[in-house]
Amino acid sequence: MIEFRNVTKIFGASETTVRAVNDLSFACPRGAFWAIMGPSGSGKSTVLHLIAGLTPPTAGSVLVDGANVAKMTSAEAAALRRRRVGYVLQTFNLLPFLTTEENVGMPLVLDGVKQSEVDARVKEALAMVSMSHRAAHYPTHLSGGEQQRAAIARALVIRPAIVLADEPTGNLDRAGGRAIMDLIQDINEQTRVTVLLVTHDPVFAAYSQRVLRLVDGGLQQDMALPEEPGQPADGDLDLVG
Amino acid sequence: MRHGHGIRYALLGVVSQNPAGVHGYALKRQCERILGNFWQLNFGEVYRVLDRLAQEGLIEQVLAESESNRKIYRITDKGQRSLDRFILAPPTDAPRPLRQELAVKLLFAGPGRLREVLHLIDHQRDAYMRQLHLLGVHRRKLRHAPVDGFVTNLLIDGAELSVRAELAWLDDVSQKLKERFTVTP
Repeated sequence: MIEFRNVTKIFGASETTVRAVNDLSFACPRGAFWAIMGPSGSGKSTVLHLIAGLTPPTAGSVLVDGANVAKMTSAEAAALRRRRVGYVLQTFNLLPFLTTEENVGMPLVLDGVKQSEVDARVKEALAMVSMSHRAAHYPTHLSGGEQQRAAIARALVIRPAIVLADEPTGNLDRAGGRAIMDLIQDINEQTRVTVLLVTHDPVFAAYSQRVLRLVDGGLQQDMALPEEPGQPADGDLDLVG
Repeated sequence: MRHGHGIRYALLGVVSQNPAGVHGYALKRQCERILGNFWQLNFGEVYRVLDRLAQEGLIEQVLAESESNRKIYRITDKGQRSLDRFILAPPTDAPRPLRQELAVKLLFAGPGRLREVLHLIDHQRDAYMRQLHLLGVHRRKLRHAPVDGFVTNLLIDGAELSVRAELAWLDDVSQKLKERFTVTP
């Protein structure tokens, strides 16, 4: 469960302040897949930063499974990111001098997990993203889509409760983006990991179950996207005529 | 394309894929499989169109040679020529006219009702997002279905692109309305 209670985040001081998030409240249940949309500068990424404890709120509280992220020490927030929150970014941020499997295992190595356990978990994570065959390759030898798969495996290797995906398709072409979204959707369904996706692309946002639309840091619109009963079951969308 | 026009050639096409002829039930099944992904088929209409195609000599109803004396549909030479001409003729789909119900509302709403109009835009956006979601569900089902969804996927691509354009337009409209009539929160 991710809960925002009247969260405001103001950057800067005195006359040059920017209100990135403005009195935002929502409660995203465990296992959900939600998307956050909105124009540039609407506060989408800041919401993810607040959840990961990368920046404290100016007012209000951010609760992750009941724990107030705003009240955590920086060490506690770092532990939250290391063990509970997987982050996927537009830029894949793989270390070029490490192989795919070394990159994927890095969060566990940093957390002091013993090597045999690291190896087993890396294997599991690579299998989930269909990248086992690329384990020994370096990032420069991977396509953009493969690099993002490796980055998703790195997010999953900690067996997170939450995956925060900030424009994960931003550097991919349409087909590549779609493949990554299919993967994220499958992972959400199979592992019940909570997914919060930030995207400006409505087609990709529509993969989710609920879309929060932010404008100027505030919640402009909250759209639930249920499968309408009896709607396309065996496919009767009228696409023509 | 006009619905009647499209369904006519769609059915002619399905019949042409069965050079030896096809009986009514199999035809219904094939129509569902081939067209059902993107066409809401009303079988009353399907049979009316088949009758019309037969009257015009584009298909013929003959007795099946073997087993039963069931009637089967078969395309005629004239029908095949008509289908070939249709396939190669430029599509008659017209670009969307410059007309939107929302525009009419905007013309007569006046700045005093700006807040309500913005709410209508949100409502419309919600409907489009649901449509995108359903298209995604449809695409996913197709991915796991044992049929070749190539053409249906192309249609879904097209539908997504047009919904995307509508959404971009709505964002643009609401942004420009706010700029023009500055709403106070």
